[in-house]
Amino acid sequence: MNAPVRDYLVPERTGVEEVKRMLQAHRQIAADPARSVIRRFYDTFDWRIFHAGGCLWEQVDSNTRQLFWEPFQSKQPQLKQRLTGEVSFADQLDLGPVRARIAPISSIRRLLPIVQISSRVQTLRVLNEDEKTVVRMEIEENRFEENPRNRHVLGARIRVRPIRGYPDAYRGVLRILENELELIPARTPLLLEALSAAGRTPGDYSSKLNFRLDPDRRADETTKEILLHLLNVIEANIPGVRENLDPEFLHDLRVAVRRTRSALSQIKGVFAPEIVQEYKDRFAWVGQITGPVRDLDVYLLDFPSYQRSLPEFLQPHLEPLRAFLLSHYDEAQKALAEQLASQEMQDLLNNWRAFLEAPAPEHPTAPNALRPTKWVADARIWRMYKRVLREGRAIDETSPPEDLHELRKSCKKLRYLLEFFASLYPKKEMRKLIKILKTLLDNLGRFQDLAVQADSLRRTAHTMSEEGRADPDSLLAMGVLVGGLLSRQAAARQEFAGTFATFDSPSHQRLFRSLFRTKKKGGHG
Amino acid sequence: MKVIGCYNLKGGVGKTATAVNLASLAANEGKQTLIWDLDPQGAATYYFRIQPKVKGGGQGLLKKKKKRSLDPLIKGTDFESLDLLPADFSYRNLDLVLEENKKPTKQLSRLLKPLSQEYDCIFLDCPPSISLVSENIFRIADALLVPMIPTTLSARTLDQLQEFLASHAFNPNLQCMPFFSMVDRRKRLHTDLMAELPKQYPDFLRTSIPYSAEVERMGIYRMPVVLKNPDNPASKAYGNLWQEVKARLYGHLRREDQG
Ligand SMILES: Nc1ncnc2c1ncn2[C@@H]1O[C@H](COP(=O)(O)OP(=O)(O)OP(=O)(O)O)[C@@H](O)[C@H]1O
Ligand SMILES: [Mg+2]
Repeated sequence: MNAPVRDYLVPERTGVEEVKRMLQAHRQIAADPARSVIRRFYDTFDWRIFHAGGCLWEQVDSNTRQLFWEPFQSKQPQLKQRLTGEVSFADQLDLGPVRARIAPISSIRRLLPIVQISSRVQTLRVLNEDEKTVVRMEIEENRFEENPRNRHVLGARIRVRPIRGYPDAYRGVLRILENELELIPARTPLLLEALSAAGRTPGDYSSKLNFRLDPDRRADETTKEILLHLLNVIEANIPGVRENLDPEFLHDLRVAVRRTRSALSQIKGVFAPEIVQEYKDRFAWVGQITGPVRDLDVYLLDFPSYQRSLPEFLQPHLEPLRAFLLSHYDEAQKALAEQLASQEMQDLLNNWRAFLEAPAPEHPTAPNALRPTKWVADARIWRMYKRVLREGRAIDETSPPEDLHELRKSCKKLRYLLEFFASLYPKKEMRKLIKILKTLLDNLGRFQDLAVQADSLRRTAHTMSEEGRADPDSLLAMGVLVGGLLSRQAAARQEFAGTFATFDSPSHQRLFRSLFRTKKKGGHG
Repeated sequence: MKVIGCYNLKGGVGKTATAVNLASLAANEGKQTLIWDLDPQGAATYYFRIQPKVKGGGQGLLKKKKKRSLDPLIKGTDFESLDLLPADFSYRNLDLVLEENKKPTKQLSRLLKPLSQEYDCIFLDCPPSISLVSENIFRIADALLVPMIPTTLSARTLDQLQEFLASHAFNPNLQCMPFFSMVDRRKRLHTDLMAELPKQYPDFLRTSIPYSAEVERMGIYRMPVVLKNPDNPASKAYGNLWQEVKARLYGHLRREDQG
C-alpha cells in the first residue's frame, strides 16, 4: 500500500520559485512544464462523502479524466481510477477502487457537483541516483469558480505525493520541507478551504432532527422551532424532487411533511385550533400529490430484491413489470413537478413560513402555549405511550388487521414525539427507547405494507393483462411474488406478539415511567 | 481488468518494446496500468530505471505458507497511473519453483487476483520460451500479443504457438494477436511476407511496427519511445496498434473502450 498524500502551504512571501530553488539545494529535482488541471468535487445532497471523512473529485487535464478519493485526515492513501462516463450514481461509474470505496457510502443518492477548482500545477520530481522519480511534488496555484462572477484565489500548496515502493525517499522529502524549509502542513483540505471561501458549510443539510431545545421555553415557540426546521427540509428538497435527481429527495420531503402534520396534531394545545386544522389539511394535500411517484420509487428500488425472490426460471419474466412501472414514471413525475411549482404550493410554503416566523402572541388562547416545553413534552409522550400500551395489549391472535393498523399509527406518533423532544432527556435512554419502538414499527410496517403491496401488485397485474402487456409467464411471476409477499406478511403477524412483548417488558415500562410520568396536576395534553 | 501478455518463444522480436509502449499508452488514457516484468533479464524494469529486485525472489512469491502478495513489491514508474512489478534474477528459477507447487499452472493467477480491483490493464512481459511461466500466462491472459519479425520462419513459429494453444485448451477466451514488428519496408522479403501471412492467419493485426533507431535508443534514454518522442513513426504505429488491440479486447463495449 502507498503512503498518504501530504499538503503544505506555500507562504506568500516565499513564493513558488523560492521553494523550488531551496529544494534543489537538497535533492536532485526535475521540473516538468506547468499544466492546467480542473478538479470537480462531488458529494451527495446530504454530504455522505464528507461525513465519511473524505472527498471525491473528478480530475481533468489535457488528456485524461480520472476519479479520486482522498481521506481528509488519516493514514489511508489516495485512491484513483479512470473515468469514462458522467459522474452521477456510484453504481454507474467504471469499476475501480474509488467506486468500490464510495458506492456503499453514496448508495442510492446521486453524486452532485459541489465546487470546481482550477489549478496551475507544476510538478517537481525528486530523482534518485538512477534519475528515477521517487517522490512527486505538485506545486499548485488554485482558484475556484462557483460561477464566472464569483472567483476566488486560494492559497498555493505543495502536494507531496509518494511514489509506490519508495517510502524512504518520501519521508526524506517531508523532513526537508518541515525542518529545512519550515513549511506548514495544510490543516484544512483544499475542498474545505474552497467551500468556506464560497460561504458554504459542509454538512449544512441533514434530514435528521438535531434540536437542542430549551426545557423552560414556552411550548408554542419551541413547536415553531421544530416546525421551521421541518419547513426548511421540505423547501431544501423541492428542487431535487422536481428534477428527480434521486429518490431520497422525495423521501425526505415526505417524511418532513408527515412529521409536520404529526407535530401539528400531537403537540396539542399550543396553536389556535383553526391554524392546526388549516395546515394539517394543506400538508395532507402535499402528501397526496407526492404519493404516486413515491409508490413507483419504492417498487423500482425493491425490484431487484423482488426479482431475486423468484425461482430463477421466472426471474426474467418479471421484466414487463419494470417496463410497466417505468412507462408510468415520467407522467407521474411530470405531474408532481407541476404541482410542486404550482401557486398553491408556493402559497402554502409562504404562508406557513410567515406564521412560523411571526412572534408568538403575547396573550395566546391555546391552553398549552405558555407552558414550559418540558411539561408539554412529558405529558404528550406519556399519554401517547399509554395509548400504545392499551392498543397493543388488546391485540391477540383473533384481532382484525385494522387493530394493528391503528396501533401502528399510534406508534408512529409516539416515535415522532420522542424524536422531536429527544434533546430534553438523557441521550442513551432516548436512543434505546427509539430503537425498540423502531423494531415494533418495523414489524407493524411489514404487516401492513406487504399486504398493500400484494394487493397493488394484483391490481397492476390486472391492468397489464388488460393492456396486453403481460404474457402468462409474467402473470405467473407476479403471482409467485404476491405469494411471497403474503407469506412474509403472515410471518410478521406471527412475530407481532413477541415483538410487542419485548417493547412492553417491565424494564422498558420502568424507563418510560421514569422519564415521562410527572406528578404535576392538571396534566392533560 | 484486462491481462495482456506479450509473448513469442523467439527472442529479440520486440516483446518488451511492445509491453512498455502499449502500457504507457494505456496509462496515458487514465487506465490504471501495471507491467509485470517476468523476464529475468529485466529489460522492461531497466527501461523505467527501476532496480531489478524482488525481495525473496520468485520463490518467496510462490511459497504456499507465506501467501505473499504482490502488493508490497510494486513500484511506481515516473509516469502517472503506470506501475511496474520488477524482474528478479531469481525468476530464472521461476519454472523450477512453479514445478514444486501443487498446481503450478494456477500460481500466477492466484497472485494476480487481488490486483484486479486496482488495475484496468496488466501487461506481462514474458521471457522467450514455452515453459511453465508461459503456460501460466496463457491461462490468465485475455490477449496474447505476438510480435514477429517478418522472416520465412514466422509462419512456422505461429503454427507452433497455435498448435500449442489448441492442444492445451487453456482459456477459451484468450485472443491471439500476432503482428509484425521491426519491419523494414525496403526489404522485399518483408513486404512479401506482410502481404501473405495475414491472409493465412485471420487474427493478424493490421498495424505493424516499423524498424526505428529511436526504439533501439530506449535503452539509452531509458523511457518508452511513445512518451519520449510521440511523433516518431514507431510511436504512431504503437498508437495504432493499441487502438486495434483495444477494439478487439473491448469489442462493442463502448463504455469500457473509451477513456
Ligand atoms: N521497432 C523497432 N525498431 C528498432 N529496434 C527495435 C524495435 N523494436 C525493438 N527493437 C530493439 O530490438 C531489441 C529487442 O527488442 P525487445 O527487447 O523489445 O525484444 P524482446 O522480444 O523483448 O527480446 P527478448 O526475447 O530478449 O526479451 C532491443 O534492442 C530493442 O531496442
Ligand atoms: Mg524482452
